[in-house]
Amino acid sequence: MLSKRFSEKKGVKGGLLFLAILMLALLVAACGAGNDNGSQSIDPAQTETTEPTDASDSTEQDQAEQDSAADDAEGGEEGYAPPTANVTLRGAGASFPHPLFMSMFYDYNQQYPNIIVDYESTGSGGGQRALKEGTVDFAASDAYMTEEDMAEVPNGGVIHIPITIGTVAIIYNLEGIDTGLKLTQETLSKIYLGEITRWNDPLLVADNPDLDLPDQAITVVHRSDSSGTTSIFTDYLSKVSPEWAEKVGSGTAVDWPTGIGGNKNDGVAAQVAQTPGSIGYVEFAFAVENNLTYAQLRNKDGYFVFPSLEAASLAAADAAANMPEDTRVSLVEKGGKDSYGIVGTSWLLLYKEYPDPDKKAAIQHLVSWMYREGQKHAEPLHYAPIPEEIAQINDRNLAKIK
Amino acid sequence: MKEKMEAVAEQKIAIDLYKNGQNRKVMEPLFRWTSLVFAGLIVLSLAAMILVMVVESWPSITTFGIRFIWDTAWNPVTLEFGALPYIYGTVVSSIIAILVATPISIGCALFLTEMAPSWIRAPIGFLIELLAAIPSILFGLWGLFVFMPFVREYIQVPLNQFFGFIPLFAGEPRGLGMLSAGLLLAIMIIPIITALARDVISAVPSLQKEGALALGATKWEVMRKVILPYSRVGILGAVMLGLGRALGETMAVIMIIGNRPEINLSLLEPGQSMAGVIATQFNESIHSLHVSALIEIGLLLFLVTFLLNVIARFLIWKVSGGKNGVRVVQ
Amino acid sequence: MAKDMLVQDLKAWYGTQQILKNINLKIEKNSVTAIIGPSGCGKSTFIRCLNRMHEVTPGARVEGKVWFDGINLYDPDVDPVQIRKRVGMVFQKPNPFPTMSIFENVAAGLRLNGFKDKKRIPEIVERSLRMAALWDEVKDRLHESGMSLSGGQQQRLCIARSLAVEPEILLMDEPASALDPIATGHIEELIVELKDKVTIAIVTHNMQQAARIADYTAFFLHGELVEYNQTEKIFTSPDDKRTEDYLSGRFG
Repeated sequence: MLSKRFSEKKGVKGGLLFLAILMLALLVAACGAGNDNGSQSIDPAQTETTEPTDASDSTEQDQAEQDSAADDAEGGEEGYAPPTANVTLRGAGASFPHPLFMSMFYDYNQQYPNIIVDYESTGSGGGQRALKEGTVDFAASDAYMTEEDMAEVPNGGVIHIPITIGTVAIIYNLEGIDTGLKLTQETLSKIYLGEITRWNDPLLVADNPDLDLPDQAITVVHRSDSSGTTSIFTDYLSKVSPEWAEKVGSGTAVDWPTGIGGNKNDGVAAQVAQTPGSIGYVEFAFAVENNLTYAQLRNKDGYFVFPSLEAASLAAADAAANMPEDTRVSLVEKGGKDSYGIVGTSWLLLYKEYPDPDKKAAIQHLVSWMYREGQKHAEPLHYAPIPEEIAQINDRNLAKIK
Repeated sequence: MKEKMEAVAEQKIAIDLYKNGQNRKVMEPLFRWTSLVFAGLIVLSLAAMILVMVVESWPSITTFGIRFIWDTAWNPVTLEFGALPYIYGTVVSSIIAILVATPISIGCALFLTEMAPSWIRAPIGFLIELLAAIPSILFGLWGLFVFMPFVREYIQVPLNQFFGFIPLFAGEPRGLGMLSAGLLLAIMIIPIITALARDVISAVPSLQKEGALALGATKWEVMRKVILPYSRVGILGAVMLGLGRALGETMAVIMIIGNRPEINLSLLEPGQSMAGVIATQFNESIHSLHVSALIEIGLLLFLVTFLLNVIARFLIWKVSGGKNGVRVVQ
Repeated sequence: MAKDMLVQDLKAWYGTQQILKNINLKIEKNSVTAIIGPSGCGKSTFIRCLNRMHEVTPGARVEGKVWFDGINLYDPDVDPVQIRKRVGMVFQKPNPFPTMSIFENVAAGLRLNGFKDKKRIPEIVERSLRMAALWDEVKDRLHESGMSLSGGQQQRLCIARSLAVEPEILLMDEPASALDPIATGHIEELIVELKDKVTIAIVTHNMQQAARIADYTAFFLHGELVEYNQTEKIFTSPDDKRTEDYLSGRFG
């Protein structure tokens, strides 16, 4: 009775119009506030070092290289011809590579109109579940599957194909310190363990002699949702801190020893922006696009480096040297003077058997296109491309599909 | 002339009766069965929802048993799950919201119905209904960018300064946390409660108010002694609807509560709500036990809502005088 | 304790519509004055002006003077709340407070007026219920809801509620219109008994009722007072043709 009375009020049309105006005003106010906070942390020097100065040139170059690589592959054993029949491929999974996939699939469909790729961004877990249930033709995940889960995959099992490299940036909000914060494996893990609680902790001061670190509490911000970003970040902390590995471990969501949670990248970024003295972690691409202030991190070889696509690809290339054939390996804390520590892979998950020959041909053609020619879409969208070393491993794995 | 008209009228009535007789044979059963099917669909979909949730959360139910309800661990790595911090977060933030929103809403409703000059009632009432219709994500954005810093500077810091010795207000005033979430929820449900309470209050017969006025009651006494007692069941219903929204509110709470599954006596500390953990962790969770535990949280949220509704029904029953007490006309 | 009341040049409006035009009338103490007239003649509005209840309705306005106990009710310094304590009112439909018991209904006025002597409340409640001829019917269930009574009992409860605060004048706005003939009879008897203690002004659409109980009768038509005199005079030999027409059922 109450709700009926409530809903039967007059003036619905006028109400909607007014509501729309009010919403707009609110949004503008919110965006304004957000931009203000973002612009506080703009650092021209940082942007210069991290973004390719001439994006179009380098992309063209990459494309040329990759085109020739693709030609090579097509000439060799791994050259796949696209099917002539109409095929629709259904995929589901990680949301992190979703924008990249959209760009790739659009381009691919322009070239091969008979193949339609339908990807649903349901999250890594959703992708893995769909793969196990057999409701998709491929899945994408920011974490590789456990032996246990792999045993449940039908159609002969699963093949992991690294498709892009993700990088995690450490962002912070310190009044007067717009750049130059240096973190080490030790300080970062201790901050997230709750052992370093103030910005003027001697360990932090020792690494940042040039900065005037305030006597302020550190508010740790982490993702409250389960995410590939968290998976990469906690994987890193587990690798560099035995204490973290023992107490917390790694996963898409963990039992955080301290801090507050933000929902998705923008939630973390907003909470860091809104909380003085806070530190958080976000997707690198997100940090770049939103001009967030991010820290330098000491790498395995002892150099402080900013996160960048090059630094991520270098880490991936280093990892490729002794990567197992199934590619189920972590990319964090790899060697190299310029490589960055917090790096991870997004995988495509494929079945080993596709009974439909057209589907098999389409999958093989699409996937090989994605990790070779399709990689030209990566850099403009701030994804690190797959290095050739890993692409070659992918060639061998893709050939195993029956 | 007059007689003739009456005769015509009689004839018409007879025809109408005949027509209705035809209609009744077809239309009434048809209407009865359609409405029965629709009513049945509601019950069925509810039953199906509960069934699916029980089935999907079965691995979690069998693994953790009843202690899931009071366990405080939530570790997706070691796969230990307990719901208590989330139950605490949802219930405490909703209680703060109700405690703050109820008196304000009733005050607003009384002002609108009894005190405000009539030319101002319609526009203000309209604005309040608009507020009630604003999507919660907008409240969340506003809460995070505007309201949260305000709460930190003007509510949390003074509370902490002057009442920091009370555990309720101890800790670091960060802005995010249980108090901010409760206050934001209060702002979100005030329009709902106000709009409903206003309708309930304006339904109080003027004869009742005049009865009190005629005894020499002041305006304030009429409100306190006549209007509020008369409309208390309806107001309680309005508050319960507000509580319902507070309990289920997801996005706005996620943005401001701090999302930390901890039970902390201090209202300045972060917490996390049941709806919040489901919304944030469901998509990317990989372990089936994790998913199952999340669904069990959903089941518990359902249960908590149900329990609170039962309590509310009981309160209404009690307020309306139980079995043989004072009857309330509503 | 009963008092009289003198109405001088009373005018009343709802919005822009004038309901009463220049009413002049004296309500004699310890008597029953009936206000009669066809629907819409302003008789209810008139009686609601006598305890300043008319102005409660949004858009309502009053001009003129009503003298009561040496003061003009419409003097700007007069508090209507104080007036209503001394000029009670019973409405068309019984309106006991539904959330209160029978006892609390009668005591409501005392409590509202901050009656200090708590011990005397039961005594006053009993006296009021007796005056309203309801005591014997409800004495064993004083703590049940007022809504559990029949319509006629509810109306007598409302009369008892008004009497509890010992008004000097009691205004009744068609108090029996919602009741059956037997309940009406009870109320009429009660009114005649009550006039020893309190002056009564009663609006009624029932001419026989006015003839049965009223000492004086005022006939209203189109917001004007057509005729006012002793009831007997009005009913037997009215001065005005319109009064005669109305009483003989020619219109209205």
